[in-house]
Amino acid sequence: MNARLKSLWKTRELSTLFVLALEVAFFTWYLWPEAGRSHPFFNLGNLVLILKYSALYGIAAIGAAMVIISGGVDLAPGAVMALAGVVTGHIFVIQGHPLSVGVASGIVAGLLCGIVSALLVVAVKLPPFIATLGVMGIARGIAFIITEGRFFDLSSRLPAGWKPFGLPADWLAPIVLVVLAAVFQYLMQRFQWGRAIFAIGGNETAALFSGIRVGRVKASVYIVAAVLASLSGVILVVIQGQGRADLATGYELDIIASSVVGGASLTGGRGSVVGAVLGTLIFGVLRNALPQIPGATFYDRLIVGVVVVVIVVVDQFIARKGA
Amino acid sequence: MHRVAARFLVPFQPSRAAEARRQWAGTALVVAAVAALASGACGKKEEAAAPAGSPPAKRYRFAVMPKALNLPVFTYARVGAERAAKQLGNVDVIWRAPEDADPLKQKEILESFITQGVDGIAISCTSADLLNDPINKAVDAGIPVVTWDSDAPRSKRLAFWGVDDFKSGQIMGEEAAKLTGGKGKVALMTSLGAENLARRLDGVKESLKKHPDMKVVETYDIKEDPTRSAEIIATGMSRYPDLAVWISVGGWPVFVRNALDPIDPAKTKFVCFDTVPPAPDLLRSGKVQVLIGQKYFGWGSEPVKLLAGIKEGRMPQQKVIDSGVDVVTKDNVDAYLEQWKRWEKGEE
Repeated sequence: MNARLKSLWKTRELSTLFVLALEVAFFTWYLWPEAGRSHPFFNLGNLVLILKYSALYGIAAIGAAMVIISGGVDLAPGAVMALAGVVTGHIFVIQGHPLSVGVASGIVAGLLCGIVSALLVVAVKLPPFIATLGVMGIARGIAFIITEGRFFDLSSRLPAGWKPFGLPADWLAPIVLVVLAAVFQYLMQRFQWGRAIFAIGGNETAALFSGIRVGRVKASVYIVAAVLASLSGVILVVIQGQGRADLATGYELDIIASSVVGGASLTGGRGSVVGAVLGTLIFGVLRNALPQIPGATFYDRLIVGVVVVVIVVVDQFIARKGA
Repeated sequence: MHRVAARFLVPFQPSRAAEARRQWAGTALVVAAVAALASGACGKKEEAAAPAGSPPAKRYRFAVMPKALNLPVFTYARVGAERAAKQLGNVDVIWRAPEDADPLKQKEILESFITQGVDGIAISCTSADLLNDPINKAVDAGIPVVTWDSDAPRSKRLAFWGVDDFKSGQIMGEEAAKLTGGKGKVALMTSLGAENLARRLDGVKESLKKHPDMKVVETYDIKEDPTRSAEIIATGMSRYPDLAVWISVGGWPVFVRNALDPIDPAKTKFVCFDTVPPAPDLLRSGKVQVLIGQKYFGWGSEPVKLLAGIKEGRMPQQKVIDSGVDVVTKDNVDAYLEQWKRWEKGEE
């Protein structure tokens, strides 16, 4: 037990967790209310709120982190989220099928996007940046073609106070996030597939010579990433009740930034799923807490930018020093 | 177990402890930087929040939310809101919105204001029905919500302050008919999703019905983006060179100086919502013929006064309060600009 505890203590994710804890402590202190008011930041409702919105980024960030660890990059998650959401909305609201069929269709749309990305990267050998940039445009474009600028009002077909699996709808995304993070963290650390992703990101040639089927593993990573993004998009439209083609615009960069803040190296071979999820929480807390400070409105972009740069610079500095 | 499964199920022992240990040193630095920045950015506000002398009444924190921070028209609302807060003396205004008009981000910020327990919320809704839920939740939790500029009529919001959109749309349609002699091709410009713009568009269409020779050839969705409006105008003009008039139910084309360059004013007229600079200059140079002005400064000041009143137990007389509009043409633009300067200085 003691040895296990010790190895846990040393894992990379704990330093990200530490940043998050300090961040929470800072805002709890800074936003301490005057007497007679409840704490604006440190309360249960606010915690659920942070988790709910962070989870939408976090589910996609799991896939993004895996792509980054494999040495690639995925620019498509925001667009795939929108496409999956719009497809779900179309099947559920316009065609009148059950929600489960809509959700499945949305995820299939994500799967197809992932297959296209994987083919472009592995078979056509396009750089991942270009391949996924193309898929981003295609997915967003199809979403706009489906909606023609309208939106699908899912909330009109969901019963008021709808509870998926008997739970409040706000909890859906956080629960899915926690389960998926645990599963993929385990797969990445304890299974050959996960280790192969690290190996490919670290040194693709060496991975090839050591007998790893590089093409297959890489393809699987892009497909898994797109499916996770589509799952996030489906949850987004279900809990928000609106399917729109312009949903999640620009989320790809926030998702990549979360992975990097969580310890992933854009050169590949380094990073973690749980780190990426914690990274989305670091941004989620900033997005939630900064609006509570009067006068900070025009500073928060700056603060978020500096946080990214400082965390990554320190990370690199330490990595270099240790090497 | 066959081979494929066996390949995947080989367990691995993680050995990344050494690398992990090195991460720790840096974390403290990061947090210090965040702390320094946050307190640097916001420190001055804390002083302002401290009551001077004996507190006259309970201090209120009102969240005032425009659709987006990148739309210049809302900066006047901010001037108005902060002036009203100063006049009232016991109000702090939190001016906050997404950087661009992203309905989901606006919802996230609105929800965070509710869990934070602000004392009142004044909001211009990017997407009306999307916000019904959180608005209702706020009102149920005892946080008064008023809307301004863009309403959420199917929510429990206590009041709306802004233009009667349908009526102002009708005015735009009538002005367009006057300019064109009641005939020719019409192109409409809007952003889909916002209630107020949809109602303005309905007003335009309603008044155009009286002029059967005016034909709407296209309704463009420019997604609240001034740059995109320039692009649309350019492509629209090459597609319909004989267009008689553009009607834009939002001010995007007149927020930038060169969006209207592809238009030949001798052939194609332009009727546009909003009168904020540089729009009056475009009116003077003849690129635009009619501007419909809203009460931009009032957008900020009136909802803040309404909220303060509600807090003191004075509910608004009506649910929908019509602010009225200013119809600005070449003939009255100079007088309007004089008035604008007074508004900017904080005079009535």
